[in-house]
Formats: sequence, structure tokens, C-alpha cells
Amino acid sequence: MNRFHAAATAALAIFSIAVMPAHADEKLVFGALLPLTGPAAPIGAEQQRGVDYAVRKINESGGIDGRKVEFRYEDSQGKPDTGVLSFNKLIDYDHVPAVISAFSSVGIAIGPIATRRETLVLNPGAQSDQLGDISPFLLNTIPLVHDETKVLARYIYDKVGARNVAVIYENAAAGTDGRNDFVEAFKKLGGTIVADEAIEFGQTNYRPTLLKVRAAKPDLVYLVVLQGYEPLIEQIGQIPGFPVCAGTTFLRLAWGHLEAVGWYQSAVHSEIDPKIEEEFKTIYKQPDMSFFGREYYTAANIIFEATAHVLKDGKDLTGRNLLDKINEIQDFENSVAKLHFDKSTNTAKRGIEVLKYTKTEREVVAVESAK
Amino acid sequence: MAGFLLQLLADGLVTGIGIGLVAISFTLYYATTGTFHVAHAGLYTLGAYMAWWLTTMSVPFALACIAAAAICLLAGLLVQVLVYDRLDRTDASPLAKLIASLGVLYVLQNLVAILFSPDLLQFPTAWRGGVIQLGEVYLSYAQLVVAGSGLVIFAALMAFTRLTMAGTRIRAVASNPFLAEITQLRPHRVYLMVMAIASAIVAVAGAAIGFDQAIQPYTGILVLLVATIAVIAGGIGSITGAFVISIFLSVLQNATLVVLPGRWSIALTFALFIAFIVIRPRGLFAHR
Repeated sequence: MNRFHAAATAALAIFSIAVMPAHADEKLVFGALLPLTGPAAPIGAEQQRGVDYAVRKINESGGIDGRKVEFRYEDSQGKPDTGVLSFNKLIDYDHVPAVISAFSSVGIAIGPIATRRETLVLNPGAQSDQLGDISPFLLNTIPLVHDETKVLARYIYDKVGARNVAVIYENAAAGTDGRNDFVEAFKKLGGTIVADEAIEFGQTNYRPTLLKVRAAKPDLVYLVVLQGYEPLIEQIGQIPGFPVCAGTTFLRLAWGHLEAVGWYQSAVHSEIDPKIEEEFKTIYKQPDMSFFGREYYTAANIIFEATAHVLKDGKDLTGRNLLDKINEIQDFENSVAKLHFDKSTNTAKRGIEVLKYTKTEREVVAVESAK
Repeated sequence: MAGFLLQLLADGLVTGIGIGLVAISFTLYYATTGTFHVAHAGLYTLGAYMAWWLTTMSVPFALACIAAAAICLLAGLLVQVLVYDRLDRTDASPLAKLIASLGVLYVLQNLVAILFSPDLLQFPTAWRGGVIQLGEVYLSYAQLVVAGSGLVIFAALMAFTRLTMAGTRIRAVASNPFLAEITQLRPHRVYLMVMAIASAIVAVAGAAIGFDQAIQPYTGILVLLVATIAVIAGGIGSITGAFVISIFLSVLQNATLVVLPGRWSIALTFALFIAFIVIRPRGLFAHR
């Protein structure tokens, strides 16, 4: 072989190695847009732990198609303007095909961008009704507010026997939706709203509002508050004769307070595998996996399952292909939850339960099935 | 209904006294130096968090408050020396000082958020939530702390400004800084003094209000906003005016809840402010 041929062969070999698909080393990268700073940062931390745990588990089992998975976390601060900037960064800089989001106002803001850029967005944490049809690329893995409030309103009216209810709601996207849906559902059943008071996100002095609500003499108070439960519950306890309260999933932080014994809460039904929860508690040194931890773990696993199928089909990993695959698979089940997607709605069908707070547990008093 | 109104009045009075502390400390500094010290809200927040942190280390609340006041006093002096005095030496405009003050505010807010997390935090003191009944009115022990400390500090500040040489010097500088300069009253030393006093007082306000409700890094600016309205409506430089109007605004905010939804209370506060500015721009208690 002359020198020319040797050089050409070597060059061809080097070129072949250079362009050979390095898939085994190439990570699968997805995005998570969470409130990592700001007033909602504690919620963001819970959500991040759920995603991180899912990533840890999938990578421990060899990844997807032999490839490791990575999530790039961007901070939305719970604000739509910051959320949009961070979402664009995930798409333009990190080139992610799918993003897990948080916060209704952020989801509403990024929805149109998700449509335009054909990026899949999974929402496992926000419940504003506007998320139901904001984008064909935005899928909700938990019921929206109107689903939960219908179940809760019916329980309060039929089983608790409340006819006059007062509403205290947070003046934010999910809060106003929660208020509107409950008022509509409760009035449809024949109930009366005797007081209807808004509080501001991050407020700490609730006394005037609570006094006004008590003065209206409701049978029960419906709360839609996303943050600030500690001072709210403390101040409720300082007002003699304050009625029993009820709320949706957002009320979960109230459990454990003596003042909240006897309260009612609706929740997304999930049955966590105790082994999974124990492992999670050990790794992250948390008392439990928490609602957001479970839901964000579930959402990440939905993306992983859809990704595995897309890659198996030999298709490109794009938002469009992931969305189509999720609609094709429809039923997802993991050690935390069972979900059913169908093309008629962007929101997965899940069971909804009603819990009553006792001193020692949240007792399930009713369950409505998903389908 | 009478009980409901009395309770609203009592709660408004307590909240107003708390905001009054922020107002009197702000007016003391602003009237003397002419600097719109927005970072005052940051010192309010820092004071709350310092007191909280110390109580989590089993320091009794009263001592934690005093320590928080001392820390904020030093922090305030640092702001005065490193920021405002430097800007004064370069003849910076009031706008430049306002922006610098905003910068200090954001640094302080985010510093506490990073050090202590942005969570809503409550003081771990067991007796805090206990309630006392006075006729038809219920007040928590924490509310009594707010009211008690507020009234004592207000009285002390009044006595200081009226009855001491230092207080007289402060009033002289506030009334005419140029004359104070040429008559050797050393205004810049007075500025340090008022900054120290104002910072210590606002730290106690932050600690007391936080003790009653909860603390969060970003709510200090809202408190300062209402306090500023009280300062302007009460007459800039009038400690009595700032304190009285703070109480008046808080009571009025609570009372209007009877007829208006709660979210209109801040709007009402600003509406009153506009009315004050139009009818009596010098403020209710302004001196000639």
C-alpha cells in the first residue's frame, strides 16, 4: 500500500469513528421548570426531589436504551415572566424535547410557546382550569381544580350536610379557579355562599378576613390557599368558634395541626409502594415522599416510558413524537400512581379521594374512580 | 356584631402600632437626612430573621430582640457609611441614592432568603399563640408584645427627641442642614445617630410583627409602603403624626372589611393617601 492509500485509509477510519453515533455516551436530556427560589421555593425543592429520584432510579437500571438520563433544572421563581425566559433557554440552549413544569401562571404563560416550538410539557403540580386547553402539547398528570372541587362540593353537601359555606381563596391563578369552581359546583347542588374573601399570596395577617368570615356564620369554610398555612391555621385557632374547614390538595399542609382536626380535604388518589417511599425517605432525609415528590416522580417516569418507545420505534426524540406516543400508550402505571390519557382531553384521568383529618391520620372517607 | 367590630378595632390597633414603629423610625431618618431609605425594609426583614434565628437557638425572645436591634444598628451604620455618605461626597442625586437604597434592600432580602430559605417561618416560642380575653376581645400574647413594645418605643423616642440634647441636635439638623453644617452641629454625625436609632427600632418592629404572624424575606417592602403613607400623611418629621396615622390606617383597613372585600383594603389606603395629599399636602401634624 503506498503512502497515499495508507493516509487515506487512516483518515477514513478516523472520520468513521468521529461520525459514528456515540449514543452509548450521549445522555438523554430533559428539562424541569420549577420554582427553585422565591416564596414557592420549598415546593420547588419537593418537586425537584421527585424528579431527581426518578432519574436516579432509571439510571441505576441502565438508563433508556443504554443511555443515561439527565434533567436540566431551570428556575421559574413561580413567576410567568421568569418562567418564559427559563423555558426558552431549555428549548434553545439545552434542546430538550420535554419539560416538566410547575405553577399555574407559569404553565399558562409557556403553553403557547410549547405549541409553537412543539415541546412536550407535563404538568404534575398545577391545577388551574386554564391548563386544560392552553396547549395541545401541555398535558396535565393530575386532575384540575374543577375535577377536585366537584367531588369535594358534593361530599360537603351530601355527607357533611353543609348548606352555607364561606370561601377564603388566594388571589392567584389556582386560587381564583379553585374559588370559582367550588362556588359554581356548590350553588348547583343548592348550597349558599355566605362569605367570599380573597387573600394575597404571601400574606401573613389573616385575622380581619377570618373575623369577617366567622361573622357570616357559615356551616363550613372552604379554603384555597397555596402558601402561608402556618400563620393561617394559628390565627384560626385564636378565633373562638371558627367553623370546620375544607379544601383541595392544596390544604394538605394543614394536616398535623391540632386546629385542623375534623377538617376535610380532597386529593388525587395514589397508592405509593412502601419500599419506594422508604428508600426516598432515606436518600433525601425527608419524613415522606410528599404529594409533589410523588407526582413529579410519576411525571418523569411517563417521559421515560414514552422516550423508550419512541427510540424503539427508531423515531427522533421530539416533543411531537413524545406527545403522540403518550396518546398512543394511554395507560401509565408505576409504583406511585395509575393514569389514563386520552386524546379527548389534555388531563389524565385519576381517582379523587376525600380525606378527613384526625389527630393521627388522614382518613379516606370517600373515593371517586378515574373513569 | 358589636363583638366583631370591637375585635376588628383591637386587631387594627395592634397592627397599626407595629406599622407605627416602622413609620416613626423611617420618618426620623428621612426628615433628618432627606434620603428615601428604602433599605429600611431590608433592615426590618434582617431584624426579624436575626431574632428568629436566635430564638431557634433557645435565646429568650426579649434578648433575641435586643440582639437583633444591635445587629441591625450596626448594619444600618454600615449602609450609612459605605453607601449614603459616599454618595453624598460625590454630590449624588436623590434618585441615585434611592436606587442604591433599593440595591441594598434586594441584597438584604435575598441574603436572608439564601441563609434561612424563602419559606414562611414562625418563631418557635411555645407561649406565642396563647390567647387572653379582654371582654369581648381576644388578643394573642404575641399581639400584646407588638402593642407593648410599640407603645414603649414610641414614648421613648418622643422623650429622646424632646428632652435630650441629642434629640435637639437631630431636630436642628432636620430643620436646616446647611445652617447645622456651618454652626458646627456636624450633620453627618447626626445622620449616623439617626440611622443607628432608626435601624434598631425597625429591627424590633420586624421581630415583633414576625413573632405575631410569620416572617418571609419579601414582605418588608409592603409594610414600609403603608408606613411611608403614614409618614407623608402624618407630616414628614412628625413622629406623633406617623404613629397616629399608622394606627388610623390599620383600624380603617380593618373596619372597611365590614362593607368591602378584603382585597380592596390596600386600594383604600392609597385612596386616602391621595386625598391627604390633595387636601393637606403638608400632612396632618406637620409643623411650620
